[in-house]
Amino acid sequence: MSFQLKDLQNLLYRLITAPSGVAEGLGTEHALPAGGLAALVDGDERLSAEARVDVYADMYFYRLLEALKEDYPATLAVLGEANFHNLITAYLIEHRPSEPSLRGAGKFVPDFLRRHPPRAQVPFVADLAMLERAIIDVFCAADATPLEVSEMNALEPELWGAVKMRRIAVSAVLRAHWRVGEVLRAVEEKRDWKSPGRERNRILVWRRNSRVSYREIASNEAAALAMLARTTKFANVCEVLARGLPQDQAPQAIRDTLARWLSEGLITRAGRGKRDQPRS
Amino acid sequence: MDWFEVISENFMVAGGRPLEVLAAVRDRHPLVLHGVSLSIGTTDPLNRKYLADLRALAKRFEPAWISDHLCWTGVAGRNLHDLLPLPYTAEVVRHVSQRIREVQDFLERPILLENVSSYLTFRDSTLSEWEFLCAVTEQADCGILLDINNIFVNAFNHRFSAEQYLDAIPVERVAQFHLAGHSDHGTHLFDTHDQPVGEEVWALYQRAVRRFGAVSTLIEWDDNIPEFRVLAETAERARRICEATVRAGTTGDEFSAQRPAESALPAYHRA
Repeated sequence: MSFQLKDLQNLLYRLITAPSGVAEGLGTEHALPAGGLAALVDGDERLSAEARVDVYADMYFYRLLEALKEDYPATLAVLGEANFHNLITAYLIEHRPSEPSLRGAGKFVPDFLRRHPPRAQVPFVADLAMLERAIIDVFCAADATPLEVSEMNALEPELWGAVKMRRIAVSAVLRAHWRVGEVLRAVEEKRDWKSPGRERNRILVWRRNSRVSYREIASNEAAALAMLARTTKFANVCEVLARGLPQDQAPQAIRDTLARWLSEGLITRAGRGKRDQPRS
Repeated sequence: MDWFEVISENFMVAGGRPLEVLAAVRDRHPLVLHGVSLSIGTTDPLNRKYLADLRALAKRFEPAWISDHLCWTGVAGRNLHDLLPLPYTAEVVRHVSQRIREVQDFLERPILLENVSSYLTFRDSTLSEWEFLCAVTEQADCGILLDINNIFVNAFNHRFSAEQYLDAIPVERVAQFHLAGHSDHGTHLFDTHDQPVGEEVWALYQRAVRRFGAVSTLIEWDDNIPEFRVLAETAERARRICEATVRAGTTGDEFSAQRPAESALPAYHRA
């Protein structure tokens, strides 16, 4: 294809995505022909060539802003409209969308927030965005076939320890420095949110059928679920779940945890295919 | 509800609720896949991963057809997530039609391309928008999804005759219509899909039905979505116009309930 079309598309791309608008983009543009933009784009008394490109520049930014507001409603709630707008303005300079779906446009927001903390008094916002992003990713991750209670009950108890299992692919274990699950829950329930406590915690995000859930998990459960990122014998999982517990309390704790995992559809039996590999 | 059109990219995912919902819809209704990121006019290479995902989606859900837009959406590996117009030249016709042929070969089926709304045109253009659309679809041997509102919007924005546009489009290539609302910004019309279809667009639709016959018609309403009753009334109005116009005998076609089905496809789609 001719270089002309390629050059034209690259020029328009630069102008449409120019951080401070088309006018400023034109001011720094070295690839314009004699006659400037008007030599390439028709203008008239209603709209100049620049104003016509501006229409696309506005659409580019506001379409992405609206999409990211939908992806990060709690981040938006704690930052406020103006700060969120500024965040996305800066974010899009560093992370230009490249995927066919808008779903991928905001995937680097949590990382961006860690590297560029906003001035607003919300030091927990990167953790909050991380949780919101995990929910999006889990929402449309590959379906899993969870291990059912009936499958375990069909086995003699003495065989349980040898059962090879792992965590379902549609799950993630997040390491947070703030208890941001509470903030997200408040925003989801349209309640006033409070600044969360600063406390290292683990958050489990998973999907059963089409429903995405999340909850904080204790250290033993987090370690066991981390272990279950790979195929593991249930006996090894039991050892982790029993760590630090009095000997007489360990069996009940293990039973309770396994029952919960089974009811939540969190684990799958090994050998059901590669797509059941979990995230993180 | 006769049939559903869904944005392809929203369902090009590994699993979860989007695919679950789509499967339930497909069990009950005909479906068409409408993409927004094929970027058929870009100078980047075709995105093979995207095409493979689209082909897999089509294989699973067996849409009546696949459509996208006659535009470019990004360059140098970046996506603007917008539908940008192309210069209307013979060289660009060759560029785009060759890529459409590659896409159709890859998908193993013909596709429809939609005329986009636009807010700028290029000085280098030597063809009118409708000449460009006709030339591309002829050289690529693909179908047309004719957006009636986009013709109206562009006719205002670029000062041409919407009627002349309609009358130039080959009847046998049009397999679907879009109708939508737009907003008037004074200096230009904006294709917003957030309000009722304008009366002038309804009039143009009637003219289109007179020319093209009972073509499957979809109302696009993406924002400020009203209660379902209003949507249903809008669809019913399209159906009434279609039925009355066809019965008036101006096209000679029989009314086909506006469902995308094998019989609704142009001849070259049935091959």
